[in-house]
Amino acid sequence: MHFEASLNKKKYSVHVRESRTHWMVSLERIYKTEREATVKDFKIPKRDFTPSHDGIISFLYKNKSYLIDVTGSDTDYTVYTRGSHRQVKIVNDEKILHENLRGKRSMGGQENLKAGMPGKIVKILVKEGQKIEPGTPLLIIEAMKMENEMKAQEKTKINRIFVKEGENVVSGANLISFKS
Amino acid sequence: MFKKILIANRGEIAVRVIRACRELGIDSVAVYSEADRSSLHVLLASEAYEIGPAPSTESYLCIDKIIKAAKKSGAEAIHPGYGFLSESSEFAQAVVDAGLVFIGATAQNISDMGDKLSARAIMTKAKIPVVPGSKEKLTELADVEVLSKEIGFPIMIKAAAGGGGKGIRLAYEKKELKSAFEAAQSEGQNYFGNSTVFLEKYIQNPKHIEIQVIGDTHGNIVHLFDRECSMQRRHQKIVEEAPSPSIPEKTRKDMCKIAVKAAKTINYVGAGTIEFIYDSVVDEFYFLEMNTRLQVEHPVTEQITGIDLVQEQISIAAGNKLSFGQKDLSISGHAIELRINAEDPETFLPSAGEILTCRIPQGPFVRFDGAIYAGYDVPIYYDPMLAKLIVWGPDRDSCIRRLKRSLAEFSLSGIKTNVVLHKNILEHEKFLDASYTTQFIDKELQTDVDKTFFKYVKDDVFLIAAAITAFQESQNRTKTIKPNKKSSWKVQNQTALM
Repeated sequence: MHFEASLNKKKYSVHVRESRTHWMVSLERIYKTEREATVKDFKIPKRDFTPSHDGIISFLYKNKSYLIDVTGSDTDYTVYTRGSHRQVKIVNDEKILHENLRGKRSMGGQENLKAGMPGKIVKILVKEGQKIEPGTPLLIIEAMKMENEMKAQEKTKINRIFVKEGENVVSGANLISFKS
Repeated sequence: MFKKILIANRGEIAVRVIRACRELGIDSVAVYSEADRSSLHVLLASEAYEIGPAPSTESYLCIDKIIKAAKKSGAEAIHPGYGFLSESSEFAQAVVDAGLVFIGATAQNISDMGDKLSARAIMTKAKIPVVPGSKEKLTELADVEVLSKEIGFPIMIKAAAGGGGKGIRLAYEKKELKSAFEAAQSEGQNYFGNSTVFLEKYIQNPKHIEIQVIGDTHGNIVHLFDRECSMQRRHQKIVEEAPSPSIPEKTRKDMCKIAVKAAKTINYVGAGTIEFIYDSVVDEFYFLEMNTRLQVEHPVTEQITGIDLVQEQISIAAGNKLSFGQKDLSISGHAIELRINAEDPETFLPSAGEILTCRIPQGPFVRFDGAIYAGYDVPIYYDPMLAKLIVWGPDRDSCIRRLKRSLAEFSLSGIKTNVVLHKNILEHEKFLDASYTTQFIDKELQTDVDKTFFKYVKDDVFLIAAAITAFQESQNRTKTIKPNKKSSWKVQNQTALM
């Protein structure tokens, strides 16, 4: 099965195949500019990638022992191990096709600003239609006793603002949409 | 001694106090909000009383509800922990008025030191050095502008009722004053119900050094040496050590002496901390504030002195004399505490949710004060601090090595934590040579995430784990919901294998 994956702004083409005894995973980094493709192939014995007692995966990777925990579902996963974590977005061919038919590229397209957790909108710092630069403060959301300023990731324009000041939002709520 | 104590708090500090009670043979009473039914302090206490909805303004900050629970349970005394009502003179007085004992400073102590401006005035009068700044409350931006010109930039604007890093704003130049002034006012109003602010000169390259003091109701006051808490993010401490590795022995002695003098000036009762800001370039220090309560970082002092501060607090509240004198105290070895927070290590955004797995470090000289367990759902309503990892060693180097070892044993998943941030700090040269200041996180830490937070585990490990999981998930879905041509080879393959 083929996937497109992204991790920390890096994009990958990923193939996963399953045999009776092994997982075959190939990772190919996709660059913005033409560059020689480097494909890394991994043949992982199934006994080296197994769920342990409480649902965590015990992964022996090049003889290094990782206890891995994967949360999330569908296309958005968070993977935890050794005190580190990464957000991995992973989309299979079927979904890529589906998104393309809707006229929207699944990977690399601009996404809405979403609430990472439940909180209260303290202040909105931008207006609809406003041009923004990376680092432009967008809004302040209060969660766990802290006021957090959310900033723009890239140069773009504010399309719509879905929330009002003082409004309580749930985790994953759409806050702002952007226009490229 | 008391037979039963109510703990007006939650999280790790409530657990800490319950442990002290149990060791003293005292029954403990927990109070909890609707969001905290399965929190560890409720599970560990002898008794537990629900006191209202999740927001702390409707539960942990309600004086009448807490006193009512104390009366109902038959508790004789109340321990406030830190945060919440621990520095409310109104609460301390209400406890006494209800015929109960407040385990902490007197209401007068709290109000003397609680308002930062009155604290400054008292300390100036006692000839204790304070940071140059405004002597009165500021309500007009124009006054702020005039005064900041007098004192000189950079300037800190602070909420008079503030604490715990809330309500503090920094301005490097005149044009930043307006937004800093308004933000400090608004946070002061929102968190402490008081929008009064004042100005202070911002010391460049500052170190945060504090002295632990403790006094009884018989007039005895001693110090338990110093702690260094310069490692901060958003003005909140995240690493604390004792003793400070960066002050000369003479300065330590001077600070301790002045701290005892400051505490005696206000006839201080209970455990308290005098915070100083230390300029390591010129070896000078100024009084910053006094915290009239137990501190989050009290364990590092316990580790180097062998004194259980919480048990001593309880004993003092019961009317006993201090169980030790100044001559009985000395520094043994070195201790460091790491605050484990539920937050993104890069953005510091908090992360609530269910803890799926949790392995707590063990082994020699490791102490873990926490309120977490696998299956615990971290609520969004409270502070993101989950636990504290405290380690002792005979000297600072061996303490750091032991800390690295125990941090490697710690694993927690389901929510984000700042563990990789701690890993980074522990191997940074400015931490190792103790030259770090309160600006370390903002200025010194690599901003390139690939070289800091992302260097410990290869991306491939995460990608493979996510890819196999996504593959399994889509296989399950296609099998149960919509089998299609694409995956039929797989179904056949499986059938053949069976």
